[in-house]
Amino acid sequence: MMSEPIVCFPTCLVDLVGRRLADDVNTVLGAVGFSPIVASGATCCGQPAFNAGHHAQARRVARRTLRRLGDTEGPIVVPSGSCTAMMRRHWVELFHGDRDEILAAAVAKRVREFSEVVDERRRRLSAFEPRLNAVAGYHDSCHMLRELGIIDQPRRLLGYVDGLEVRPLASGERCCGFGGAFSLRYPEVSVAMADDKLADVRESGVDLLVSSDPGCLMQLGSRADRRGDPLRVLHVASVLAEAGVGR
Amino acid sequence: MSRSDDPLVGTGFRDRSRAQLGQPFLRQAIPRATDHTIAALHDRFADVDVAALRERGRRIRAETIRDLDAHLETLVAAFERNGITVHRAADAEAARGRIRSICSAAGARRVVKVKSMATEEIRLNPALAADGLEVVETDLGEYVVHLDDDRPSHIIAPIIHKTRQEVRQSLSRVAGRELPDDTAELTGFARGQLRDAFLSADVGISGANFGVAESGTVVLLTNEGNGRMCTSLPRVHIALMGIERVLPTLDDLAVMLPLLAGSGTGQLLTSYVSMISGPRREGEPDGPEEMHVVLLDNGRRALLGGPFEEALHCIRCGACQNVCPVYRQVGGHAYGWVYGGPIGAVLTPLFRGFDDGGELPQASTLCGACDDICPVKIPLHDLLLKLRRVGGGRAATRRERAAATFWAFLWSSGVGYRASIAVGRLGLTLARVLPARLRRGPVLARWAAGRGLPGRGGRP
Amino acid sequence: MTRLSGVSPAELRPGEDAIERFERELGAVQATFARSTPETLARRIVEALREVGARHVGLTADLGGGRRALVEALRAADIEAVHYEAAAPSRDALRAMDATVTGCVAAVAATGSIITGERAGRAGALIAPTHLCVVERERLLDGLSQALRVIAGSGSSMLALQSGPSRTADIEKTLIMGMHGPKAAHVVLLDGRLDEA
Repeated sequence: MMSEPIVCFPTCLVDLVGRRLADDVNTVLGAVGFSPIVASGATCCGQPAFNAGHHAQARRVARRTLRRLGDTEGPIVVPSGSCTAMMRRHWVELFHGDRDEILAAAVAKRVREFSEVVDERRRRLSAFEPRLNAVAGYHDSCHMLRELGIIDQPRRLLGYVDGLEVRPLASGERCCGFGGAFSLRYPEVSVAMADDKLADVRESGVDLLVSSDPGCLMQLGSRADRRGDPLRVLHVASVLAEAGVGR
Repeated sequence: MSRSDDPLVGTGFRDRSRAQLGQPFLRQAIPRATDHTIAALHDRFADVDVAALRERGRRIRAETIRDLDAHLETLVAAFERNGITVHRAADAEAARGRIRSICSAAGARRVVKVKSMATEEIRLNPALAADGLEVVETDLGEYVVHLDDDRPSHIIAPIIHKTRQEVRQSLSRVAGRELPDDTAELTGFARGQLRDAFLSADVGISGANFGVAESGTVVLLTNEGNGRMCTSLPRVHIALMGIERVLPTLDDLAVMLPLLAGSGTGQLLTSYVSMISGPRREGEPDGPEEMHVVLLDNGRRALLGGPFEEALHCIRCGACQNVCPVYRQVGGHAYGWVYGGPIGAVLTPLFRGFDDGGELPQASTLCGACDDICPVKIPLHDLLLKLRRVGGGRAATRRERAAATFWAFLWSSGVGYRASIAVGRLGLTLARVLPARLRRGPVLARWAAGRGLPGRGGRP
Repeated sequence: MTRLSGVSPAELRPGEDAIERFERELGAVQATFARSTPETLARRIVEALREVGARHVGLTADLGGGRRALVEALRAADIEAVHYEAAAPSRDALRAMDATVTGCVAAVAATGSIITGERAGRAGALIAPTHLCVVERERLLDGLSQALRVIAGSGSSMLALQSGPSRTADIEKTLIMGMHGPKAAHVVLLDGRLDEA
């Protein structure tokens, strides 16, 4: 089978704390017939500064990423719900009236969230007979849920893993408390929000919490870690990779 | 009120929220109450096209606010035709002055009040008390708030933060004896007290959920019936109405009533909806002899035609508070002023100015749950972002802006980015092996106070 | 069918029966529902008032031609019956009322609401612990938008929609009836007109 090149923008958070997640993303993309090319020189979508209200600074960083991505062709896969939302929904606003406005609109249209892309080729997952014994809950990334409406795709992908029971979470659509700078500005509230989420997870009997946003994963994983909670917290790509996709 | 007893001055959201987080009852009570309301809302709206209804609500509010002056003119003319005296107040002080002089002209000694966020906004009660008037709040929750010299913590449920025991203590103080620990008994005691107040008050003061321009009608929603008591029994009725609460027609009201009641309490309609179109007329059995409407601007008009005009679409249902994951942790008092939750984080800086309220738009994770539930589809998430942008350009955040500029300088170059990522990884690795007391630096310390370090095993 | 049918929960759905819905919604807001003919109305009301032990009952002017017969029936049953408008100027008389009986301007099937106007007194329907409302069949309207249209032309100084008894849930979300207004709200749907009673 010929594999099709696809641009991958791993995002800054993954660069900083998730090198194995980057590998998992590449593995799964490879397994469904893509050959991922990491976008060289792309750094960050600018979201941290954009959300804090610093548009000039956000634009400066986003411009670099935008131009590097503009040099490529075809879909751009991003393994982060909120970065996808930033690029797809807010770049146009950020570059409104700017010399890169047209480029921003063109690149925004090419941006795809990881599970969307894999979902379109999900039947190829079966060939790997993915298997992982766990009781999982899926936590929706707020921006992916509300700004992009990507709800079913990650859940469908989990459905391909044998041995994985996916239970609905009562608080599945409630924010984990990360919120970027919010988590540092108001750490006590942020942690209390994570605790509510983790309490719900515990009550649901879930031992593997899955999400599609490195921000949520970092928040919930770090809090579970600090509390000594044995809960595992993984990206959809990591679940698929652990289950044997691409092996 | 003096600025020194204004919680918005001199404290930050972090301090205020920490104080609230330390109250275990609050953190149980808010989810319990708000989940109940949200479930009832979904249940009551289950078999209708709620998206279409919200869109109608949005359109009505947008079209009304876009042409507010024309609608206000119609409203004022209709009020006056109905025998209602209309007063215009540019700010809180003017509104208080108007209401005080109406009370004084009426020779009033005792005033009964219907819960009203607008009167909270202008801090009316202390002003009336200073004039020697006895002010009685008649909504049960607001009555207790007033007895305790406290503040409401939710737009619809003012004592969501209080336990029954606390309410019992407050009411027992009034009774001069220990009241039984029983909700029905406590309520019954308050009923008796307030009944006396209704029957002996000279003036009734209410807000206005809506003012209908077509008919010159003040619309009031309550479940307890105190709205009707306050506006029917005393000799004088004064309604304080935010200028944005106008609705052009009764057809519009037919859309807005179920949206407000549903979003506020999960009902189709509140138990009582009063539509008051003037004082008692010749031959009518009861009702006030005089009726006044005080139209309150207090920062509203300044929003017309600007980037924050949509904040005026709000009908104060409280639904955005109910779903807000931040509000659910900290309650309304953490926001420091009258309005809490997402709409509070929007209205406070707009009404009070950025010096006092500029921080509040940051007190959100931008999760967008409020956008999804707002009955008139106010884009709260966008408004919060826009407010952050305005706030971000101000001196109060100079250090933060400098940090953002430095970050932008680094991350707009490949070398700078790679270097800072390398430093960050190194820092995390070191932090993992160093003893806790050496993990300094504001960013890491704030993260690590309640959380482990991210990135163990190469996954976030 | 109103223009908001299927969109607003305060309207009837297409093809829905108004009386059935009215009864169901009254149940949902903890009001009672009964039907009566003009012939049996007085007896029904006496029974209902006896059940709650009412001794002093105010009857409002919007009962129209039916009021006289009701007053007589109540007095015959040894219940003190007064005209609300005659009692209203006296705070003591208002305090003494343990039930009021009113008519209505209209009723709304879809929301289980009755709408009283100034002839019922602004406080007539909520001053006493028990309120009983007589709804003439022809006054029962489908939904809220229709009701607001109808009453828009009435030129009333005050109209009040009420859906069930007065309530509060301010204390720990525990629902308590009769906060300021009635603890009990009864609705009698009259198959006919009050002046036939």
